[in-house]
Amino acid sequence: MSGILTGGWEFVWAAYGVTAAVLAGYTLSLVVRLRSERLRREREASRASEVSS
Amino acid sequence: MGKGGWPFAVAGLGLALLVWGSIWGLAFAPREQYMGDVQRIMYVHVPTAWNALLALTFGFGCAVAFLLRGGWRWDARHEAAIEVGVVLGALLCFQGAIWAKPTWGVWWDWDPRLTTTAVMVFAFSGILALRRFVEDPARRAVWSAVATVIAFVDVPIVYFSVNWWNSLHQLQSTPATVSSAFHWPLRINAFGVLFLMSGWIWLRARLAAERLEGELAPPLGGIELAQRQPLGGTS
Repeated sequence: MSGILTGGWEFVWAAYGVTAAVLAGYTLSLVVRLRSERLRREREASRASEVSS
Repeated sequence: MGKGGWPFAVAGLGLALLVWGSIWGLAFAPREQYMGDVQRIMYVHVPTAWNALLALTFGFGCAVAFLLRGGWRWDARHEAAIEVGVVLGALLCFQGAIWAKPTWGVWWDWDPRLTTTAVMVFAFSGILALRRFVEDPARRAVWSAVATVIAFVDVPIVYFSVNWWNSLHQLQSTPATVSSAFHWPLRINAFGVLFLMSGWIWLRARLAAERLEGELAPPLGGIELAQRQPLGGTS
């Protein structure tokens, strides 16, 4: 054994793959949650305007 | 650009930098003498580590600001920063395990750096869970801010653990410990994750603030309903 690592690209791709998946997944989850919160607020606002009219 | 687009622009800039830095690190940076190509994991692992600690430090600052000055904006920012810190902290552990297997021969070791990092991720995950369980916004804000101040004790321990104890984990990556050939992709990715993290915290704080606004508002149409339909009235 020389103590020098050879190969190992599968670990490199795995690390970059996990990173890309987590970064993309969390970004997507933020967008989805923001959109659903906006929709909820719009629904509530329209209900409130129906009640007051 | 409208005010609403800025966090997306900041996150987009972060993503672009990350793509640039990663291509540099994977294709153009030299192979490390002992770890070979596996060392290229450093270009995503180290920026993730720095920014996880930074996000949690920002969360700690927001928690202290909320406790000292009050203000729901600080609570929203606190929640946002803790969540982003936990996401980056968990990612950090997975990247570290993938690096550890070819270099140490194991996916995980109860080494001081790894153990304190795991404690940090679980402690802040617990604070997020606490926030989900407490319905009263005022209690939730105070309790989670106090819990963050306590949990934050672990953050400097994580950073300095490699200096304080004998650790399998290498020392912090700084210009003094990293060869100059590896600096640029590391720096570009560090700024990439920094911008992405800032955009995320910005967006997540906006979401938390909108939810808080809904929670703190009087019940929907309650006053108008009470006026139109006195008690005992039919719907």
